Amino acid sequence: MLETPNPSTNPRNLYTWCACLVSPAKMSKKPAAQPTLHKVIMVGSGGVGKSALTLQFMYDEFVEDYEPTKADSYRKKVVLDGEEVQIDILDTAGQEDYAAIRDNYFRSGEGFLCVFSITEPESFDATQEFREQILRVKNDENIPFLLVGNKSDLADKRRVPLDTCRERAQHWQVPYVETSAKTRDNVDKVFFDLMREIRSRKSDDSRATNGDVKKKKGKKMKCSIL
Amino acid sequence: MGPPPVVTGISPKEGPPGTRVTIRGEFLGTSVTDLIGLKICGCDCLLSAEWKSKNKIVARSGPCKGRGDIIVTTRSGGEGTSTVQFRGYHESIGPVKESAVWVEEAAPPSLPWGRRPMSPTTYIPPDPLGLSTEGDDCKFPEEELHEMFPDGSGKLSDDNFQPGWYLLEHHSNTSFEDLKAGMVFLQRKVESQKEGQLSFLKANTGAVMDQLDRLVLLKNMYEEDERKNGKEPLPSLQAAIEESITLADSLFSEILSRKDNADKTREALSLLTRHKFLFQLPASIDRNIRKKEYDLVVNDYTRVKNLFGNTDVKLFQKILGEIDKKIEDLKEKLYNRMKTMPINVQEQIKYIRLLISLNWEGDAAWVAINSRKDYLMSLMNKVKDHFKQKEEQEFSDKNKRKLKEAESEASAVRGAWCAAACGALSAQLHALWPLARRYFAGELAGEPTDHQRQAQLKEMIIAAVELFSDHMRTCLLSGTGSKNLPIDALRVRLVANLRHMREAYEELIKLDLPSQPLSIVEKVIFDYRVYGMTMFLQRAHKRVKGLAEKETWKIEEFTDYGAITNLPHLLETYTEEALSAIHKCVSGGGRREGVLLAEGGEPARAAIKLTQGLLLAYVAVLQDLALHLDDTQEFNNNNLSVALEQRIEEGASNSRSWQQRLLLAGTNAHYTRRVTLTNISEAFHNYGFPAPTEAIQATKEALSTLESTIAETYLEHKGDPLVGTIETSMDMGRHKTDADAVIDDARPYVYEIINNLIAVHAEVDGVCGAASSRYVRLICETVCEELARLAACAPGAELVAPQAAFQARLEHTLLHVATAEHLTRKAENYLMEALSTIPPLENEEEKKRMDSIVEGFKKRMELQLASLNCNMETV
Ligand SMILES: Nc1nc2c(ncn2[C@@H]2O[C@H](COP(=O)(O)OP(=O)(O)OP(=O)(O)O)[C@@H](O)[C@H]2O)c(=O)[nH]1
Ligand SMILES: [Mg+2]
Repeated sequence: MLETPNPSTNPRNLYTWCACLVSPAKMSKKPAAQPTLHKVIMVGSGGVGKSALTLQFMYDEFVEDYEPTKADSYRKKVVLDGEEVQIDILDTAGQEDYAAIRDNYFRSGEGFLCVFSITEPESFDATQEFREQILRVKNDENIPFLLVGNKSDLADKRRVPLDTCRERAQHWQVPYVETSAKTRDNVDKVFFDLMREIRSRKSDDSRATNGDVKKKKGKKMKCSIL
Repeated sequence: MGPPPVVTGISPKEGPPGTRVTIRGEFLGTSVTDLIGLKICGCDCLLSAEWKSKNKIVARSGPCKGRGDIIVTTRSGGEGTSTVQFRGYHESIGPVKESAVWVEEAAPPSLPWGRRPMSPTTYIPPDPLGLSTEGDDCKFPEEELHEMFPDGSGKLSDDNFQPGWYLLEHHSNTSFEDLKAGMVFLQRKVESQKEGQLSFLKANTGAVMDQLDRLVLLKNMYEEDERKNGKEPLPSLQAAIEESITLADSLFSEILSRKDNADKTREALSLLTRHKFLFQLPASIDRNIRKKEYDLVVNDYTRVKNLFGNTDVKLFQKILGEIDKKIEDLKEKLYNRMKTMPINVQEQIKYIRLLISLNWEGDAAWVAINSRKDYLMSLMNKVKDHFKQKEEQEFSDKNKRKLKEAESEASAVRGAWCAAACGALSAQLHALWPLARRYFAGELAGEPTDHQRQAQLKEMIIAAVELFSDHMRTCLLSGTGSKNLPIDALRVRLVANLRHMREAYEELIKLDLPSQPLSIVEKVIFDYRVYGMTMFLQRAHKRVKGLAEKETWKIEEFTDYGAITNLPHLLETYTEEALSAIHKCVSGGGRREGVLLAEGGEPARAAIKLTQGLLLAYVAVLQDLALHLDDTQEFNNNNLSVALEQRIEEGASNSRSWQQRLLLAGTNAHYTRRVTLTNISEAFHNYGFPAPTEAIQATKEALSTLESTIAETYLEHKGDPLVGTIETSMDMGRHKTDADAVIDDARPYVYEIINNLIAVHAEVDGVCGAASSRYVRLICETVCEELARLAACAPGAELVAPQAAFQARLEHTLLHVATAEHLTRKAENYLMEALSTIPPLENEEEKKRMDSIVEGFKKRMELQLASLNCNMETV
């Protein structure tokens, strides 16, 4: 599409970097001793308890005060089915003010916890948009994804029926779990379940890479340019 | 050493300098002081770090750019690691963007991936594609770029420039068409560079011509300048510069000196404000003193002493001196206030306290006590003088008034004096004693421990009380005047005075004064009571003395002891009244007072003595009344008929005959002795006074003597004439006696004697009743004595004649028979004596005749004899 540029003025041409794009894994220069890293992204509307779930998982603490998040980063070692792994959690902003920066963040995610509050139908409605944005950015129907109904301790204020939630999960073909950041109910479960999915996806991927690399490459390239 | 800190969480994970970040992790320090280091992206952020817990720190990011670790260092765990990273970026600032300016204090840190430091003024070259760059908002994540081009850079000028990076960084959202257009633009640029210098000149002809013009202009200007200023413009320039230097110097030094002055003024001002308290103190002390807020003054003074007491600053010392002087004045003032009487004790104590807190060097409380005592003394003297003067006035006014009135006024004055003195004493001691007590309790500083003080205080109190007692003695006990006061007024006054003194006394007892001064007061009261008692008895005495005038000789009553006038009753009434007054007014003792009339005590003795005097006065009155011979009235010595004619109840009492008065006095005395004295004695008993035995005894004796005297007087005046008639009567009869005549009756003188006796008896009996026998007996005795005398001196020859002897014997026998009931032993003896001179009867015949004559006499004289013997006491 472009004519060959003069190499003296431009040491590398555009094709070169396009070629580089195809093998991102190769570029990771992390020490070999580091355990496998699973990148989890928390998504969902403001105030549904994403940060609360994260802090509960990371530090066993529950924060009563609501302080809107911009973008927080957490990373620690956990033992997943006997194997030591690292979990990296990116806690994103639910507030619409920060919606513009979401795309960039979603790109790096390997798995998503899509959180809503069972006391807030609007947050449940918003999950639809989040799902669509993720699929658009990741371009992958099978991206590891859990639908999480939080604040299960507030059963008396529940405004999103359980059936509706299950229905939607079924429709998306994702698991549905109800949690409470306050009581720590199912908190570990959602993170570990998601990591398991990521892990299994990764092993699938490596198998696929070994088999047919080119097929993937083309797909990826297209996405980047678009 | 504990485990090193690990940061596992950062919120938010990116932001411009000054972002508030929450750092979470483990072992982030055991306390605030354990945290000794915090670096975010290599920037030291310890200053802004807030240690929250061992899992949480809040800090602000520094002026870093790019990604970096968050390194926490603790004393306990050393330098830590981090699993998460923070990315700092500088926001491009536009007019619509909110921003906070972060002042860069340190040199910008080297970027983690940078090969060389960035120059502070980064020149951003225009976009090589000729496209406008996108905004920061939709940035391509930098970490991905790093991952994609580990050795690359997005900077056009860098060696390792990576076009891919640049495109992704700046044109990730640029459409393909635009990119193509950009490519064409770039190509054109590259081509144009290839054409060389000529083409360059061609392209820039306008600019080159412009430069030439400028050069010519410059040259012209230079030449003109040289013409104007000569070849050597420097010296004049130098001179100008030097001049300006000196000017600048002078300006500078002037400003400096002005600044100095300003600084000094400012310093002085700040000194003034800082030590405002000190400077304002003299004024505020004055103000507070005026407002009598002494406590404030004391507070301020102690404060200033504490703050500036040891100052070396001359100014402060001067002010302190001024303050000290004011305080000295205040002390003097307080001291005088405290000393100046009258003052209430609370106030005085307040002043004492103030003086103590102001370090008065004297013993303020002791001075206060002394001044109180002096005041009390002078007050008492003043009271005394005042009332004395008033009293004198009353008396000097007496020309206008009657003495009596003046006296009652004077007594009122003395009562007022007493009340005032009592009030003064109790009020002042009421203040003084508690003051002294507090003093000795050590509450009021000074030297209460000085053991002389106690003794001195005691002396003071005793002196005061003694003065009081002296005054009261002069006032109440040295009686001028009250002699003529009506008894009721006297009593009222006495009771009132006593009440005043007792009230004061009561107050002193309540104060818990020592017993010595109390006793002094008690003594005055006691003496006054004795005085009262004396007064009452003296009054009674006086009244008794006046009884003589009261005697009307009217017979009040016929008693067992004869007829009496009202004198005995009056005596009893007076005494009774006196006793009852004593009982009511003075005998009852108050709290802590002695019994007035204790058995054997001095007052009791005095009372008895006074009673005795009173009773004896009564006796004297009686005596006077009885024995006072009225010249105008003849002692009625007439015959029976006269005596009988004068009916005793009749007639004006003042026309009572002398002998009747005598007799009445006698019965009065007798009655008094037997009845009234007993009653009086009983009255004493009833009032609980000691029995006045001596007085009664003495009076009884006096009365007995009086009675005898009366009886003798009566005899003297009544019996003597009667006896005198016997001899003459006898002689008269002898004339008629015939020697031979048969004697069958006594001679008339016998009948005369009997008749006279009857008359006496009648008279005496009329007055004395049963007691009359005394007088009759006495008269009989004298008669008998006379008979005996006559018989003794009769010539014996005469009686030898049997007739005469018979006659004489008969007469004696008849007299004996007639007066048998009234004959005392002595009288009997006299008769026997007379008979013994008469020769006995010669024969039985004679005796029988005599007997028959005697029987005849008895029969004949029955009426007379009965009247003579009626109403007789048995001997
Ligand atoms: N009762 C209850 N309250 C919860 C629970 N989870 C979160 N909350 C509360 O909900 C509020 C919001 O929680 P966050 O975790 O800050 O919400 P978020 O989803 O992170 O919100 P953004 O950061 O704005 O996207 C906080 O006051 C929490 O205390 C839960 O499980 N039960
Ligand atoms: Mg949040």
